[in-house]
Amino acid sequence: MNERKKAFPARFRNDMILIGVLLFLSLCLALYLFFFRGKGDTVKVTVDGEVYGVYALSEDRTEEIRDGEDYNLLVIRNGRAYMESASCPDGICVSHHAIHRDGESIVCLPNRVVVTVSAEGDGAPDIIS
Amino acid sequence: MKRKLFLGALALASVLALTLTLFSSCTDKAAGKKKFSSYSMDYFDTVTTIVGYEHSQEDFDRVSDEILRELAEYHRLYTIYHRFEGLENLCTVNELSDGAHRTVKVDRRIIDMLLYAKEMYTLTEGRVNIAMGSVLSLWHTYRTLGTDDPENAALPPMDKLQAAALHTDIDKLVIDEENETVTLTDPQMTLDVGAIAKGYAAERIARSLEESGITGYVLNVGGNICSIGTKPDGTKWTVGIENPLGEEYLAYLALDGQCVVTSGSYQRFYYVDGRPYHHIIDPDTLMPAERGYLSVSVVCEDSGLGDALSTALFCLPKAEGLALIESIPEADAMWVEASGAKSYSSGWAQYVKE
Repeated sequence: MNERKKAFPARFRNDMILIGVLLFLSLCLALYLFFFRGKGDTVKVTVDGEVYGVYALSEDRTEEIRDGEDYNLLVIRNGRAYMESASCPDGICVSHHAIHRDGESIVCLPNRVVVTVSAEGDGAPDIIS
Repeated sequence: MKRKLFLGALALASVLALTLTLFSSCTDKAAGKKKFSSYSMDYFDTVTTIVGYEHSQEDFDRVSDEILRELAEYHRLYTIYHRFEGLENLCTVNELSDGAHRTVKVDRRIIDMLLYAKEMYTLTEGRVNIAMGSVLSLWHTYRTLGTDDPENAALPPMDKLQAAALHTDIDKLVIDEENETVTLTDPQMTLDVGAIAKGYAAERIARSLEESGITGYVLNVGGNICSIGTKPDGTKWTVGIENPLGEEYLAYLALDGQCVVTSGSYQRFYYVDGRPYHHIIDPDTLMPAERGYLSVSVVCEDSGLGDALSTALFCLPKAEGLALIESIPEADAMWVEASGAKSYSSGWAQYVKE
C-alpha cells in the first residue's frame, strides 16, 4: 500500500513535466503567431503583370511607381495603402479607398498597375465585387 | 485514479491545442491546399481576378492560364473594338460594306451568346438591349474624349442620341442558327454586348472548369463573380460587396457555386462641368440611369443572367425592379441608395454571411 502511494507522485511528476512542456510550446507558438505574423502583412505592386515591389504594410512609406511616362504615387500610412495621385486619365485608382484587408486591391487599368494586400487574419473576403 | 484520468485529459488537451495552433498557422490547410490568386487586365477592358486552392503555385498557374486562355478567346469573339486577322467577331459584324451589313458566318459561341442576349431582352422588357450600339458608341466616344481632355468634356448632344435611338430594334438582329450566321438588317444599327458578354463568358468558363472536374476556384471578371464549388475544406466563399463610399464592405456573402454581379455608377464614369456621368445608359432617357442607386448587386446561379439583371435593375425604379427580381425564383438582389441605405429582395438573406 505504502509503496503504491509513493509510486503515484513520481509518475505524476513526469506527467506534469510533459504537460508543462506541451503547454509552454503551444503558448510560445500562439504568442509568436499573434505578435509577429500580423506584422508580415504586405502590399504587392505589379505593373503589367510583373512584380514591381513588395512592401510591408506596417512601415509608412511613399512609393512612386514609374513606368515610362506613367506614374502612380502609392502611399502606405498607418497600416493602410492608397493611391495619392496618378497620371492616368480617369483617376479611379486615386478615388479608391485605402486598403488593408487580405485580398483587397487597387487597380489602375490605364497604367496597368495592381496593388494587392496579403494579410493574415480572419474575416477578409475571398473576392470582392 | 480520478486524478490520473484528469491529468491524461489535460495532456491530451495540450497536445490538441498544439496541433490546432500548428494547423491554424498554415492558412486554410484543408487537404494541404493553399490559396493562390492572379490578375489580368487584358480582356473585356476590365480586371480579371482568379482565386483558387491548389497544392502548389505550378498547379494553380496551370488552371489560371487555362482560364485566361479561354477568356482571351471569348474576348476576341465578343469585342466590338478590335479586329483580329482572319477572325469574324462582333467588330466585323458591326462593320458596313457598301452601306450595308454583311451576313457573317460566326463562331458558335457568338450565336449562343446573341441568342441568350435576346432572351435577356425579353426577360428585362428591353432594359438590356444589345442592339443599342449606336447610342452607346456615342456615349463611349464622348466619355473617352472627356476622360482624355477633361477641360473640353461634353455630353453627347440629345438630338444625336435620339437619332441613334431610332436604330436599336433588336428584331433587326437576324440569327440563323442552322447556318450559324448573323445579319444586322438595319445598316445604321450596331451591337454592344457590354452589359452581358463578360458575365456570359465568365459563366461558360466556370461551367467548363466544373466539367473538367475542377473546383475550389472563384473568378471575378470585372465585377462578375462566379464561384465554382466550395473551398476544399467545404466552407463557402466569402464575397465582399464593394462600398464606393468607404472602407467597410456593403455586405459579406457566403456562396457555394452561385455568382454575384454588381452594377454601380462608380465603376466607370467621367466628369462634365464637375458632375459625374456613369456608363449605364437608360434606354428610355438615353442618359445615365438616374434612379438614385449607388449600386445594385444580384446573386443567382448564372452569371450571364446576373449581369443582365443587375444592369436592368440599375435602370428600373425600385418597385418595378423588385417585381422583376421576385418573378425569377433563383435570383435575388440588393439595392444601395446614394445615402447608403440598403434594401433587399425576399431571398437575399440566405446568402448573407453570418
